[in-house]
Amino acid sequence: MSQPGTERPALQGDVTELADLAEEIVPALIARLRASRLAELEVRSAGWRIRLRRDLTASRPQPSAALGVSAAAVSEDEAVGVARSPAVGYFSPGELLVVGRSVVVGDSLGSVDVLGIAQEVSAPVSGILGVVLAEAGQAVEYGQALAEIVSLEPEAEAAEGGAEGATTAPREGEMSRADSVATAAQA
Amino acid sequence: MIERVLVANRGEIAVRILRACRSMGIEAVVAHSEADRDSRAVLMADEAICIGPADSARSYLSAAAVISAALVSGCDAIHPGYGFLSEDDAFAEMTRAHDLVFIGPSAEVLERFASKAGTRGLLARHGLPTVPGSEGMLRDDDDAMAEAERIGYPVLIKPSAGGGGKGMRMVRTPRELQQALTVCRSEARAAFGDDSLYLEKWLEQTRHVEVQVIVDEHGRGVHVGERDCSVQRRHQKILEEAPSPALDEATRTQLAEAAVSAAVAAGYQNVGTLEFLVDGSGRYYFIEINARIQVEHPVTEMLSGIDIVAEQIRLAAGEPLGYGQEAVRLRGHAIEFRINAEDVRADFLPQVGVVTNYVPPGGAGIRMESHLYSGYEVPPYYDSLLGKLIVWGPDREAAMARSRVALQELVVEGLATNIPFHRAILEDPTFLAGGFDTNLLDRRGAAAFLDAVATSDQA
Repeated sequence: MSQPGTERPALQGDVTELADLAEEIVPALIARLRASRLAELEVRSAGWRIRLRRDLTASRPQPSAALGVSAAAVSEDEAVGVARSPAVGYFSPGELLVVGRSVVVGDSLGSVDVLGIAQEVSAPVSGILGVVLAEAGQAVEYGQALAEIVSLEPEAEAAEGGAEGATTAPREGEMSRADSVATAAQA
Repeated sequence: MIERVLVANRGEIAVRILRACRSMGIEAVVAHSEADRDSRAVLMADEAICIGPADSARSYLSAAAVISAALVSGCDAIHPGYGFLSEDDAFAEMTRAHDLVFIGPSAEVLERFASKAGTRGLLARHGLPTVPGSEGMLRDDDDAMAEAERIGYPVLIKPSAGGGGKGMRMVRTPRELQQALTVCRSEARAAFGDDSLYLEKWLEQTRHVEVQVIVDEHGRGVHVGERDCSVQRRHQKILEEAPSPALDEATRTQLAEAAVSAAVAAGYQNVGTLEFLVDGSGRYYFIEINARIQVEHPVTEMLSGIDIVAEQIRLAAGEPLGYGQEAVRLRGHAIEFRINAEDVRADFLPQVGVVTNYVPPGGAGIRMESHLYSGYEVPPYYDSLLGKLIVWGPDREAAMARSRVALQELVVEGLATNIPFHRAILEDPTFLAGGFDTNLLDRRGAAAFLDAVATSDQA
């Protein structure tokens, strides 16, 4: 997280307060906003003010083709699921294993060859393929992360988040964690 | 020539094998389950590879996972340790089919000695006396009843496969036999996937004495003396020592020579252990052969100076033994204490949890074989063995004196262990006199020892 560029020098107390804001207060507010039908939420306290906004028109599912580039750039903590190796052996990617591709839970993403017998690697959740972590022919161990699945679809995420234990961090457009914190810091 | 070994086991034996490999200039890759990611062998390894989930059926017992791990990590041999796949002839065969060396007896040898009943018959033909028992496997309950009558009660029900006391029961009456058969069958089926049972005459007040043998594939073999494993609780060894206090020199030599010559004659290869019961008058009866490295092998290493795991690797690579019986010299006395995560006050209930503090003992003649470190979490999925304290002295008294010091020094905190129990055994007059038999602990009951434990705790 970047230091706030304000007239006040950054003191240790500010850093601690910022951490509290980023890790506890902001996520809690985001959850409130999501649960509501509101488009904007502003909270003021002694030394800070947070304003959260969301674009209600942008929460429709988007065609996956348009996400080809941006999905690959999604950071690790936004992955909603990780496809892991079911066994120790050599990895063969499947046809669906293309960054930016939309997959449904259970889709085959490839296989791991164990003494000549292919064991399927399947998508643990529905979403968009983010990062592919193993190459064709690579030796992989049991449980090794082979691909990350990200989701930019709030509805799909809500349905699957619980079952897969995925993070509840927001992913809607401008409501990212970094934006909110920056707003808070400048207050 | 073996250059890179896959260690297909866990716990202290994985560490032991890793060290043997290193001392021979061999790289070691440790195969582990998800539950053993933080184990000491994994942390020490040149390379570690996760082969499956915590459930050993899908990791340490999965032949395909283990062999695939060896192939993808570029190993040329697999060391199976003890338990798990160590005596599985089908696994040994599969290993060879993938051009890997199985560090142990060949598949043919394992198959020949796979059945306990078959092995008893085979070694009896090569001159070893055996305990009177049923003719082969029991066909059904009626067969069991008839065989028990013929042998004479009490009898011991034993499973054909496996070990560790599972599926074993001593019964004194036909009624007890009838009830125990069902239990033993289901235990044996659950533990080994094979519910065939046989009967043995139950000998009262016997000692458990075993002979270590090392045989190359050219049929040249030596014995490395015996070990006495009479301190047992419900057929589980707790403490082992060598030489056996129960044998005189003539019997000791005769037993060891009979064991190795029968093993060689019957076609046994690599390292192995022949187990015997010895009765009060010094008569010995062969019971079974363990075609693997054993937990208590360091006792023999302390007396002989031979690295038995290194010998296993060397012989599996096809090397000749290279020395004869006259080169095997046994010196002094050694005792091994199995340190288990067990609460002795709660009927030896296995314990799990974090080892908050671990301090191994040291000093002359002290050896600690363990996978513990401070902060290590003992997982709930596997056996309760935390390590072994092995103590050598020029004679039994000196070994016991050093043992008392070492057991006081050894610190394992964070979960209950059987260390207080070992301290109590070292105060027990029967043990001190070398008079322990295999049933003494069970016969006296845990309570008698727990009182002794309480006393030694306060001391």
